[in-house]
Amino acid sequence: MHLPKFEHLYPASLKEAARLLKKHGANARLAAGGTDLFARMKYGLAQPEVVISLKGLSVDFPAVIKGGELHLNALMPLADVAHTAEIRERAPLLAEASMSVGSNQIRQMGTLGGNICLENRCSYYNQSHTFQFIEPCFKRKGSLCYLIPKGKKCVAVFQADTVPALICLDAEVEIIAADNSRQLLLEKLYTGDALKPLALSQDEIVGKVIIPQPEPVRGTAFSKFSLRGGVEFAALTVAVRLDVADKGENCYAARITVGAISAKPVRALKAEKTMVGEALSDKLFHEIAGMVASEIHPVMHHGYSIPFLKECLKTQTYRTLVRGAERTGRYGKK
Amino acid sequence: MKRLIELCVNGEVYELAVEANTTLAEVLRDQIGLTGTKVSCGTGECGTCTVLMDGRPILSCLALAVDCQKQSILTIEGLSVGEKLTPVQKAFHEYGAIQCGFCTPGMVLSTTALLEANSQPSMQEIRKALEGHLCRCTGYNKIIEAVQQAAEQMTPKAK
Repeated sequence: MHLPKFEHLYPASLKEAARLLKKHGANARLAAGGTDLFARMKYGLAQPEVVISLKGLSVDFPAVIKGGELHLNALMPLADVAHTAEIRERAPLLAEASMSVGSNQIRQMGTLGGNICLENRCSYYNQSHTFQFIEPCFKRKGSLCYLIPKGKKCVAVFQADTVPALICLDAEVEIIAADNSRQLLLEKLYTGDALKPLALSQDEIVGKVIIPQPEPVRGTAFSKFSLRGGVEFAALTVAVRLDVADKGENCYAARITVGAISAKPVRALKAEKTMVGEALSDKLFHEIAGMVASEIHPVMHHGYSIPFLKECLKTQTYRTLVRGAERTGRYGKK
Repeated sequence: MKRLIELCVNGEVYELAVEANTTLAEVLRDQIGLTGTKVSCGTGECGTCTVLMDGRPILSCLALAVDCQKQSILTIEGLSVGEKLTPVQKAFHEYGAIQCGFCTPGMVLSTTALLEANSQPSMQEIRKALEGHLCRCTGYNKIIEAVQQAAEQMTPKAK
């Protein structure tokens, strides 16, 4: 498979890249690692006339600034995110999630920002369309869905692995535009609309990821479920963060985020609320796993049915909670 | 429009004129003639096109040649010195980790990068490092055995 022709530009900074995006409008795409964009271009799913490469830009080392915030450059390769000591120490959840993205080669090339801005995927649309698309689906401005025959909207799912982890850590992103920049809670970046998954305008780029100072007693865990590991996007991902009081084993803050089962990553708010003030126990985790499975409504995707995903969600949530609790050092080892 | 780029492949510097949409794999195979790098899926799923760029295993089918300007690339041809195989190549050969051989260049290069960074990888680490490589012949067991053997041979013996 060959790449179609395009014009290739090298901006000297993210600001300049944003200006180029503004100038070229919908015909331009950003390429950081390129592992997703170039594959989609080969399949004919993206046909940009201009590709703006971020390859030449320098990547700063993660920095800890005011109040213990960890600032990460979005252009950092995922393999570096997974292996940098600073990140492993202050945000082990992110390192664990980065390690589960794709294969080793994808992690060496792909960037954190690229994963955050991953396009929503579906098993019908994300394949070669040489002999298909007699009738266009929603993604191609048509009015039907091949996966759900009478579907009223596109059901492509958001399958980035690092995002549920970052949402659990209350991460923010710095968004750089041609004329200004703004900071946004990462959770708010996702619209839930499969056709326009990111709340970014044409000339905006995710430049930095900011992770707040971690609490002293914290346990985090991440699970990805897929049938074939590295060669596959997730069927579902669960990220958990448990903050435990200085004394005792009561949880005072909890985050449970589920990814890959809908157009945006979802937090299990009811289950999180229930956990607050409770002592960590096996019974509680079973109860919470059941709540998460009933509270979150997965969509059918990549051959996984809804009942299967629900059952899987329950099991994965339970296991992730147990692992997270064990890492607080206040559970299990008695 | 073609652009001039400079690539250092297996220690030799090449100056090439490439289009923006030419991938590194196309340059290596078609322009330089190093056909040891294989291309199978072309979309980053199978790992056959893996080469080392500054020691990192990357997918040459998804890397643009123009983005590799002044980088140092190591392909399978650059590993052995004459007929002298590296310990990784020797272990693959001895343990029957090769059948049709199509995935082997990528596997060997990924293993080389792994052992460079971690001379005594655990079974899990080996599996994690090679999970982006598909092999339809060997069933992977022999490959993992070969990697373990290579790791053993490359580690200096305890006194």
